[in-house]
Amino acid sequence: MKKFFNRKTGFLAEDLAVAALKEKGYVVLERNFANRFGEIDIIAKDKDILVFVEVKAKTGVDFGLPEEMVGKKKLEKIRHMAVIYTKGETLPSRIDVVAIVFDNNNQLLRLTHYENVY
Amino acid sequence: MLVKICSIANIGLETVSVDVEVDVASIGFPGFTIVGLPSKAIEEARERVKTALINSGFIFPPRKITVNLAPADLPKDSSAYDLPMAIGVLAASGQLLTSSSDLKQMFFYGELSLDGTLRPTRGILLLGLFAQKKPHSTIFVPYPSANEATVVSGIKIMPVKNLAELVNHLKEKEIITPLNQVEIKEDIDSLVPDFDLSEIAGQEQAKRALIIAAAGGHNLLMWGTPGTGKTMLARALPGILPPLSSLEALEVTRIYSVAGLIRPGETIIRQRPFRAPHHGVSAAGMIGGGSHPLPGEVSLAHLGVLFLDEMPEFPRHILESLRQPMEDGQVEVVRVSGHIRYPASFSLIAATNPCPCGWLGHPRKECKCTPKEIARYRRRISGPILDRIDLWVSVAAVEVEKLALTNPKITHKITSKQAKTQVIKARAIQSKRFTNLSIYTNSQMRNKEVKKLCFLTPEAENLLKMAVEKYDFSARSYFRLIKVARTIADLEGHKKIMPFHMAEALQYKQTI
Repeated sequence: MKKFFNRKTGFLAEDLAVAALKEKGYVVLERNFANRFGEIDIIAKDKDILVFVEVKAKTGVDFGLPEEMVGKKKLEKIRHMAVIYTKGETLPSRIDVVAIVFDNNNQLLRLTHYENVY
Repeated sequence: MLVKICSIANIGLETVSVDVEVDVASIGFPGFTIVGLPSKAIEEARERVKTALINSGFIFPPRKITVNLAPADLPKDSSAYDLPMAIGVLAASGQLLTSSSDLKQMFFYGELSLDGTLRPTRGILLLGLFAQKKPHSTIFVPYPSANEATVVSGIKIMPVKNLAELVNHLKEKEIITPLNQVEIKEDIDSLVPDFDLSEIAGQEQAKRALIIAAAGGHNLLMWGTPGTGKTMLARALPGILPPLSSLEALEVTRIYSVAGLIRPGETIIRQRPFRAPHHGVSAAGMIGGGSHPLPGEVSLAHLGVLFLDEMPEFPRHILESLRQPMEDGQVEVVRVSGHIRYPASFSLIAATNPCPCGWLGHPRKECKCTPKEIARYRRRISGPILDRIDLWVSVAAVEVEKLALTNPKITHKITSKQAKTQVIKARAIQSKRFTNLSIYTNSQMRNKEVKKLCFLTPEAENLLKMAVEKYDFSARSYFRLIKVARTIADLEGHKKIMPFHMAEALQYKQTI
């Protein structure tokens, strides 16, 4: 078993998420949009709708599902960041979550895309 | 998939049906939401249900789960929704292969612990009585409290130890045996009181008054210097109270079921309640209260005895709040969440000293109170309360000869057992008199029943008239006197109230 680091796992997960979104016909506008208030992993466009995507990955499910690790607070933060990104403009937009589970060797076990979770 | 599970909510002693609707959606972000005005205890059920399911070997589906407690506008406050929610989640996620038509006749009720076992939950009797109205219903209730419902006929009662056992039962793998219905027996000698009447030296008049109070459910006030046996007499009272009849037992048990005061394994309360709250009691504790009002001491004493030791020490507003229940036999508690009516038909037994120092009227000891102090002490109990007390007895200091351990003079002493037989006989006459009237004792009669059911001889009526004129008794006192006289006549087995019954009733009237 090779030891990976969480940061590395995260980057790997985000790459996989971007690939999955592109396959669905989304246009990725920005990755890791960040300022001192927080970060949005992926900002994409699904036709006319602006999509803010949070990617959550877990190595194994022994400590819970990735879905369980996205709470109310995190979604609130993404919403807040989205307002900053759009500079307060009201655009058709939504928040998605991509949940990813890896095995111990960082091979992909599952990738689930949840639309409009907020 | 959507599943509907039947359960109930209790508002006071009323029961309404609650549908626990559980939806496990195939799309949407996983989560567990409960709607339908849940209380904090129900919000927390989320964690209990989830952990209990996992620890019982089931899968908690990582899907969007929505629970609705319908009707949505009724606030719910009970931990009993844990079980219906858990069953709902299992059924809606396909882990329980029962058709929804089967679930329609089943009621689920109970609190879950984290390992999946069911904990004792209050209000099981009310669930049983509610389920009885629907044909062929089965109730699934926690094993420790299941006995509460066994007095209800016409339903199947399933005592459930844990979640896994229940699921195996529903899958027809391992059948739970339903509890048998039990008859409400009228057992008499189950109770050992603190004191026997024969243990108390002297005080023959007080004992007689106690028997009258027990026989007719009248209010009694004992006053006397410290150490004469007032508290002892009151403590002996449970030993002479008649057992509850089956109808009465059901009424009392309902109240105790709502209050959660039925011990696990106990079926029905057969002992007449005897409540002795301390004078530090709060108004909510006495009358009933809380944001979702629970029964107070007056309701817990329903059909039994409320004993107030050192009555003047009770705060005035607490004593005044007894006025409504003493007159109407019920109490209405009003809170933001609505108003709830609890039955509170009790017989009040009070004990008091004659003055603050306590020695007023003692044959040898000197009272050191000023007249003003005495007057103030007496004013603590207001006129309207005193007017509602039918029997006044002075419990005087006991002479030393009567206390002597070996006393050849005293041969006849009434025992609690003898007194109880008298009381039961008098109650039997009363219950025959009040068939179909939904009252049980003479003290519960309203004026129209007094007029219809109490026959006075002309001499007795004349005596009463004279007394009322001479002492200016109130109209309420007039009817109360007839009721007491009726009880005394019942104790002697007389059909009509004779002058000497009335004379005895009059001698117990207020003297201070």
